[in-house]
Amino acid sequence: MKFEKKRAGAKQEIPTSSMPDIIFMLLLFFMVATTLREQEIFVKFTLPEAEAIQKIENKRLVSYIWVGENEKIQIDDNIVSVKAIRKIMYDKRVVLPNVIVSFRVDKNSRMGLVTDIQEELREADARRINYSAMPKP
Amino acid sequence: MIKRKKREGGEFSAGSMADITFLLLLFFLVTTNIDVDTGIGMTLPEKVEDELIVPMSKERLASLLINENGDVLLNGEIIAIPQISETLIDRITSKIELPKNKKLVVSIKTDRNTNYNLYIKSLDQVKVAFYKVRNDYAMGKWGISRKDVNDEQYKELKEKIPIIISIAEPEKIK
Repeated sequence: MKFEKKRAGAKQEIPTSSMPDIIFMLLLFFMVATTLREQEIFVKFTLPEAEAIQKIENKRLVSYIWVGENEKIQIDDNIVSVKAIRKIMYDKRVVLPNVIVSFRVDKNSRMGLVTDIQEELREADARRINYSAMPKP
Repeated sequence: MIKRKKREGGEFSAGSMADITFLLLLFFLVTTNIDVDTGIGMTLPEKVEDELIVPMSKERLASLLINENGDVLLNGEIIAIPQISETLIDRITSKIELPKNKKLVVSIKTDRNTNYNLYIKSLDQVKVAFYKVRNDYAMGKWGISRKDVNDEQYKELKEKIPIIISIAEPEKIK
């Protein structure tokens, strides 16, 4: 007598038709999270380190000021003078009223310059600031 | 009788779709940089025309002076930077139950030639002190760390232990 194995009639492959959907989901996530507009930084700086740091939740609110090793100040894509900050920041504040100005200042800078920038920011009424710092290793 | 050949499905092969999307995914994976800006947040004082000088009792004020030689003075006495938080913690803790207008105010003053790194280090220490007191308070009252509090508890923390740091204008060069 011949024994025949009973085979299930169902296909034995994993259905891959939903794979693209899953991948698309991932893709969408990364597309949203990506910031392609990387700013070119002309100044050289090393950030200080700190313990009590917090994350800025909303990246869209942040506007950066870079201060490099030889006291050059960069905002957006330009090297600017201290006196020009007031106007630039005022314009920014008109567009974005609760802008956070993030200081990416080289750790060997002098406070005089930082204070001058802060004074300009006060004049422009952009008073929310953030001293960018690296977490302590 | 002509038998019609049965055609198998009218779908196009979606198998390669996954590959294409994978490629796109890889591209975005590589180009993404989810770097979050971290730092110490502050709010600058408002610019007012005629500043009025409010006398402040010594009991309330902790004045931190960082001079251009890198010496840090807390209320006139030289202190090592890592010790700032310890010294401040006691003073903040003792003022938790005091009314709003008696809380500790930390004033940080620098010279124009003070090193920025020292300033950040000191400011960091002050923040650490406040955060530690908040943490202890949250731990003692609700048994959770200050990061896990809900909105209402956060409000209470803010009310009991407000972080008041004043950035004084540096001395002009004589």
